[in-house]
Formats: sequence, structure tokens, C-alpha cells
Amino acid sequence: MWKPKVWVTALIILFITAGCSDSESSTDGGSGDDTSKTLTLWHIETGESEVAIEDAVKRFEENHEGVNVEVVRQENDPYKTKLSVAMGGGTPPDVFHSWGGGWLEKFVEAGQVKDLSDDIDPEQFLPAALSPAEFEGKNYGAPLAMDIVPVWYNKGMFEKFGLEEPETYEELIEIIETLKSNDIVPFSLANQSKWPGSFYYMYFAERFGGPDLFNEAYKREGRGFDDEAYVKAGEKIRELAEMGAFPDGFNGMNFDTGQSRQLLYAEQAGMIIQGNWMLGTTRNDMPEFEEKLGFFLFPAMEGGQGSKKDIVGGVSPVYSVAEKSENKELATELVKELTSKATAQQLANTDGAISAVKDIEYDDEYVQEISNVLEEAEYMQTFYDQTLPPELAEVHLDTTQALFGLSKTPEEAAKEVEEKAKEVLE
Amino acid sequence: MENNAKKWNVEQGDDRGSSKVYPPPAPVRVDQTKKKRKKQDFWVIVGFLGPALLIYGLYVIYSIAMTFYYSLFEWSGIDTHMVFAGLQNYITLIGDHVFWTSLQNNFLLVAASLLTQLPLGLIMALLLFSPIKGMRFFRSIYFMPFLMSTVAIGILFIYIYDGNFGIVNQILGQLGLESWQRGWLGNEETAIWAVIATVCWQFAPFYMILFRAAIVGIPEELYEAAEMDGASSRKKFLKITLPLLIPTIITSSILSIIGALKYFDLIYVMTDGGPNNSTELMATYMYEQTFTNFNMGYGSSISFSMFIIALFVTLIIIVFDQKRKGAN
Amino acid sequence: MLNRIRQIPLYILAILLLLFTGLPFFVMVSTSFKTQIEFMSAPWSLPESFSFENYRLLLESEFFRFFFNSVIVSVISVVAVIVLGAMASYPLARMRFKLNRPLFILFLVGMMIPIHTTLIPIFLLTKNMGLYDTIWALPGPYIAFALPVSIVIFTQFLKDLPKELEESAKMDGCGPFRLFWKILFPLLTPAVATVAIYNFIQIWNEFIFALVLTNSEENATLPLGLREFYGQFSVNVPGIMAALTLGSLPLLLIYLVAQEKIVKGIAAGSVKG
Repeated sequence: MWKPKVWVTALIILFITAGCSDSESSTDGGSGDDTSKTLTLWHIETGESEVAIEDAVKRFEENHEGVNVEVVRQENDPYKTKLSVAMGGGTPPDVFHSWGGGWLEKFVEAGQVKDLSDDIDPEQFLPAALSPAEFEGKNYGAPLAMDIVPVWYNKGMFEKFGLEEPETYEELIEIIETLKSNDIVPFSLANQSKWPGSFYYMYFAERFGGPDLFNEAYKREGRGFDDEAYVKAGEKIRELAEMGAFPDGFNGMNFDTGQSRQLLYAEQAGMIIQGNWMLGTTRNDMPEFEEKLGFFLFPAMEGGQGSKKDIVGGVSPVYSVAEKSENKELATELVKELTSKATAQQLANTDGAISAVKDIEYDDEYVQEISNVLEEAEYMQTFYDQTLPPELAEVHLDTTQALFGLSKTPEEAAKEVEEKAKEVLE
Repeated sequence: MENNAKKWNVEQGDDRGSSKVYPPPAPVRVDQTKKKRKKQDFWVIVGFLGPALLIYGLYVIYSIAMTFYYSLFEWSGIDTHMVFAGLQNYITLIGDHVFWTSLQNNFLLVAASLLTQLPLGLIMALLLFSPIKGMRFFRSIYFMPFLMSTVAIGILFIYIYDGNFGIVNQILGQLGLESWQRGWLGNEETAIWAVIATVCWQFAPFYMILFRAAIVGIPEELYEAAEMDGASSRKKFLKITLPLLIPTIITSSILSIIGALKYFDLIYVMTDGGPNNSTELMATYMYEQTFTNFNMGYGSSISFSMFIIALFVTLIIIVFDQKRKGAN
Repeated sequence: MLNRIRQIPLYILAILLLLFTGLPFFVMVSTSFKTQIEFMSAPWSLPESFSFENYRLLLESEFFRFFFNSVIVSVISVVAVIVLGAMASYPLARMRFKLNRPLFILFLVGMMIPIHTTLIPIFLLTKNMGLYDTIWALPGPYIAFALPVSIVIFTQFLKDLPKELEESAKMDGCGPFRLFWKILFPLLTPAVATVAIYNFIQIWNEFIFALVLTNSEENATLPLGLREFYGQFSVNVPGIMAALTLGSLPLLLIYLVAQEKIVKGIAAGSVKG
């Protein structure tokens, strides 16, 4: 005789055991081979900057005998998912990469990140580089390098059409019109990735509303994300899209696979608003284009409160220590080595990165130039999508993409961001 | 010959159970034999189904249960702090227009998959049985799309649809259809169709091998008998092949529908749900909520809703299929 | 002659489909021989000079380790899926019992859960079994998630086999296990080939579980290892295409072998009749 009941009971027991075994042991810190101490480091650097990281780890291992660092390079996109699961599952790496800002803050709020305020020396870093990892007056990460976003252009092309770097927005518009009349796409833009379009929104908004605009909206003191400056920024984006300043189908083009850069290299487009990583990327993609590559800063708007010297930028990488690390002290030491002057200098020499660490000398004249811009900058607007909490950042990116696609009005977009901001930030 | 096919078809029925296998030899012993057989059957069932059920229960059923459990909480997924929220996540979901857009896109994908993947797969499978030379070569190439990794497909099709360098626009230009040219993935109206076409392209070969294997299983004698009756190839297809393929078509439909309802990969690579959420699917939206927005609870409620929707649709098909068999 | 002419539309259709299905694969392979610079200046052109640089870089990386890991994981998983799936389908397709349909549906529902929400539970499960960051973390979920589709396909095929097979075997006093393995299973060849192809491809290309359940490079499977060819800000497209081309060769091989099995299945089918 066989009974269905037996079956059902067996199944239930199976699931319960599966469920229990999980909740029982998820609290103990995982397996440990305790013969020698091992630290895990997750980073996303590639090429020369990966070498710089590995050299820093070597120096650390030499100075700390018996400590072994397992360095795991992650790939940008899946890295975020992987770190979330590892944090949720209670086995985070000891030291991990971030960009500071809202993403890191989520982990800080979840109690997963060690407070480094007493461990790192703020004097060692540029102040603008430290702030993305500061939450409620405490520091949760040490920065190594910085990025800024200028307007890159094709020098040869500008010469050919008798164009000069613009001082005002009107001059920029004239450039756009000249390029258009010569069948050249004024701005190359691959906005499937969404963040490249966000640069425009940040610049316009800052140029209209001034350096305090974003912080007021973010801290919920004063103006909000539906401020007139944001609406105006949206209008300017629409204007550009309507006048055909961007390539066909730019909202479906992907920066990573090279679609926007291709237009630039093929001299079908004249300008691109991108981070200073454009330099390294160009050297990799099309070395002979480097000599044509020039940059200028996004011009000021008439009647606006922002100056041409205010720049959009960000910090990457930032290294933090996991609260659940079994060797927090050692991990902190590792973070110090990763963001030491030696590492930063090596990175500057080989990768052309702009350092977040003070007193670095640059061999590369391009990098020196970019670094000068940063030093002369009156204000650095950190990337919205990295500063804001992720869900708000997502709304900002989506609505901006929709502005470019002309499927949302500036008012709608601004209102949507503000509503989400009220929900998330208040 | 038609009789023959029908007879065969009837035998496909579900009622081919073992009850009729041993007619009880004598009424006295019925009870005992039945008992013995039932006991034996029980162990056969356990022995055959048990191992699969064990590993399946451990990973899949457990995960489904946990997904439902998480969906009842407000939880970021990255800490231990979970707040019980009851059905709040589901209530939020009902008012979430992005979810409805994505559900609509999913149903578009379902319809497109059924209407293109299956017929295309069947045509390719039939072609493989037609007397053309170089069959092995065709057979290998036809399968290529399914064999390529999604990342490669994604990158290639991003370029194929590109507004400036793309092949699609070049072809349209050659045909004198310049007005049709556009950046296919950047346009809210066309992006979803461009992606759907790619998905169908990728999966049609899978249905080809399913159909091919099923056609192989059709006894040669049926065709031979038909040929003797002088039936045309069209008639052979309609009277023999197609009726005998119906169970495979139903299986394929189920696979195709479920696959389309939880589809993720190519959308993620090609458009990431954009522009302006126009290509968002339930799975990409769930992923965004779970891992970008740190909303594990809400993401789980999307997952579980997807699960319920797929279950509902599948049950409808099964009931339908049951009725069809009854009618037969 | 007439026959030949009648075949022309058939050939045209076959060749159109050939281009339709085959061109992207061809582009993938040809791109893999280009340099990033060449790709950037002309994405569609044929490679000017065949550059093996991408392949050289690949083979210099831990490619063979990734490859080896992938082979182990895929072969174990696919064999297990075939054995477990075919066995489980036998009672579901050919026996009558109360829980038959509910169990079948239970297996069906596994196809309906999106994989990404199962990441955290399965991560925890794997960790507790002590399998985290070993390649043995992978076959479990791969088998479990491959079972539904496989069982659906197997059940379908088993139902189509004539019942006389079993009757005569039972008359001969053949036990159920022998009956299944000696008589029914060999007749399932087309289904086994289909299931093998399908699952091998899915598992070979699987990314997200491998990402989450393993960590160190030595345990990476091919799709993970190939991510090396992604940059931080830009993708080396030809590099990726080279990696994916090399990665797909085993699949092509499996497909061709399995297809031969299906052909043999035709032969077996005519014998049984």
C-alpha cells in the first residue's frame, strides 16, 4: 500500500530541512582556514591601473608577513550584483571597490561598512575627493583617483571650419549650427547607457542654478529637483535634441561597445561630452586620433548662476572595509596602501589618472592639463547617479533619457524626480 | 491511411496507463495482485522520481518558497533588517505603471514568440527532411543562432540596428527606403520590435531541433502507406505530420510562453529596458528593483507575480489540451 | 528534370534561411580576427590582415583552466539531467497514480521562477553546504533548473512510444528498471540528444550563478573568465568575439555529434516498427 501522505510528508520534511539548515548556520561567519590570514580584495580596475593595484598589494604583503591577499578583479556591471549578494549572504570581501555616493551609502546604512574616520588622514587627499564617501560626518572610504567631464572635440575639424573653443553658450550653439550645416553630427552621444546624457543635465542645471542647487535639492534645504533651473536644463536638452545636435538613434547607442566614439574617430561627429577616461580609451581604440583630441569646459549660460569653472566629476575608485571582515585592522592597512602616494603616483605615471591624493606629479601633459582644470575648479559637481540613492538615481537617469527622446516634458521630468526625492530623501 | 494515422493518434492518448496491462486471471486473487502491484508501483515511482525530486526540491522549490517569503517584507537584501509588510509590496505593484508596461511587453514577446519562433522552427525542421543536397551543412548553420552566446548576439545586433553604421539601415538605403531608416534601438516605438526580432531569431533553432526530433519519431510506414494511396506531399503533411506533431507543438508553446514571460538576457545587454522603459520586461524590472535599487522585497514580489502569471497561463494551456484530447 | 526545377524554390528558401541564421556567426568569427582599431574604424569590413593577437592573448590567459572547469561542470550537469530527467519522466508519462498530474505541474512551475530572485537563497544554501567558491557549487542549481524543460521533453517522447513495448517486456519478466534502461531509454535517443543539446548550451553559457557562487579565478567557468576581455570603460569588441568564438566551438561539436544521434534514432525507429 502506498500513501500520498507519505510523499507529502517527505517533501515537507525536505523543504523544512533545507530551510532550517540555512537559517541555522547563516549567522556563523563562514568557513575559515585559519592557518594564515587571508584578506579578500574586490576591485574593477583594468590595464595599467590593475597593475598599480597589484603592486600596492605586493607592497602590503611584504610589509605584513603571513598575510595573504586574494585579489579578485570584477567586471563593472556584474560587480554591483555580486557585491549585493555577498553582502546579503553575509560573506563580503574584506576590502571592496565603490564610487562613494548613494550606492556606498546603502551599504553604510545597512551597517556593512567600517567607519574609517580615525584611520585615514584627510590631509593626504584632495577635499573634493573625500566627500563622496562621507556620510553624517564620518568617512567610510579612501579615494584613489578622480574623473572630470570636459567637452572633447576634434581639433582638426574645428580648424577646418574656422571654429574656436567657445566661451559662451551662444558660441557653442553657433558651433553646433556650423557643424550641422556641414553634415557633421555636433555631439556624439551613446545614451542607451543613460549616464552620458546625464552629463548634459548636470551641466545645464549647474550653469543655471549655480553650485548650491544640487546640494539644496539633495539635502532637502531650499530649492528642489523641480526648481526652475532643472526645468530650464530640460528645455535646453530638448532644444538640442530638436535641432539635431545628436546622432540618429542615440538613445539606443551603447558607450561600452564604442558606438559614440566611432562617430568621433570617423570624423562624422565633432564633439563629445565624456569623462577624462576618453583619453585612455582613445589611446586604446584609435591612437592616431589622440593628436586631434582637444577639450574645453562647458560654457556658462547667460543670466545663470554657475561659472564655466564649475566642473562635473566623480571619484573612482574608493576603497572601503567591510564591517563583517574578520581582520578589520589589517584590511584598513590594506586600504591605506591602496590609496598611498606611491600607488597614486604609479597610477598617474602609467594610466594617466588624475589622483585623489595630494602632491602627485604628472608626466603626461594632457593629464597635467586636466589636473590643472581640477585644481582651478571652483566647485566640483559629483555625478548625480553616483551621489543620489540608487532608486532616485535611476529615476534621474530614466527621466533624462526621456527628455532626450522628447517623450517627457521638462516639467514632467523635474516633477517626477522631485516626487521620488520626497519619497526617498525625506 | 487516414485510418491508420488516426488509430495511431488515438493511441497517443493519456489513458495508456498500466491498469489494463494485466487482466486479472481469477476474481479471487484480484485483491492480492492489485495490492502487490500497487506496492511495486509505489517503489517504482519513488525510485524513478525521487532523485530528481530531491535535487529539484532543494534548489527550485525552496527558492520559490523563499521568493514568496521575501516578497512579504520590506527588505534591501543587503542587511539582516527585514520589516514584515504583508501584501504591501503587491499593492504597490498593482499601482506601478512600469510593471504594467513591462507586462504588456512580455505579452507582446509571448505573441511574437508563438507566431514566429514556432513556425520558423517548423519550416527549418521540414526543410531538413526535404531532398536538398548538403543537408549536414544547412543543419549546422541553421542552429548557429542558438549556439551563440547572448553577449555576442547582443553586441552584434546593437551594431546591426545602429542608426549610423547599421546593416538594417544600409539595406533600407539600397532598397530606396531612406525614409524608413532610423536608430532602431533608440526609438521608443521601434526598440521593442527590434529586440523581439532578435529574441525570435535566437530561439527559432531550438524549436527546429524539437520538431526535427519529433518528426523523426513518426513511423515511416504511415508515409509509405500514404504514398501508395497517391497522396501529395501537402496532403501527407496535413494528414500525417501535422496531427502527429500536435503534442510537440503544445509542448513547444508551453516552453515558448514561459520562456517569453521570464525573458531577461538580450534585453539586459541590448537596451537595459530603455529608452524610457519602452523595452522593460518584468524580469529586467525585477532585476533593477532588486540589485540597482536595493529593493529585494519588492523585486521578489515582482518575481512571484511573474511566477503566478506563468503558472496561470500554463494551466490554461493544459486544461485546453485536456479538452482537446477529450474531444478526440 | 522536372523534379530539379520543382526543387529550386526549396533551395532559395534554404539559402535565404542559411544567410539569415549564419551571417551573425560569420561576423562574430571575422570580427575576432580584427584589432580594436580596425573594428573602430570599420565595424563591418572583413579583417584586412588576420590578426591572431586576440587568440594569443586568450590562450595566454587562464583560458584552459576556465575551459576545463566549464567542461567538468557542464558534462556532470548534463549527464545528471539526462539520467534524472529521463527517470523522473517514466512514471509521469507511463504510469497512473494520483499525484501524477500535480507532480508534473510541480516540475513545470520550476521553469516559471525568474532566476535572479533565487540568487540569495541559493547563495545561502551553497554557503551552508560548504560549496561556495568551488566548482561543485554549480552542478546543483544547474541540474535543478534544467530538470523542468528536460522532463517536459522526455515525458512528451515517452508518451509517444507504443505501449506494447512494456507489455511484452513485462510478460518476459523484465523488472521496471531493466525495462526502462534496456528497452525504453534507447528509443529515447532523439529526446536525449535534444535535451543534451539544449542543456549543454544553456549551462555552458550560464553566467549569473557562476558569478555569484564562485569567486576566485581558479574556479571561474568560461563565461566568467571571458569577462576579462571587458574593460572598465570600453569593451574590446574583437577580443570578446574571439573569446566567444573559441567558447562556442565545443558547442558546435556537441551539436554535430548529437545530430548524428538523432539520425541514428531514425534507424532505431525503423527497427522498432
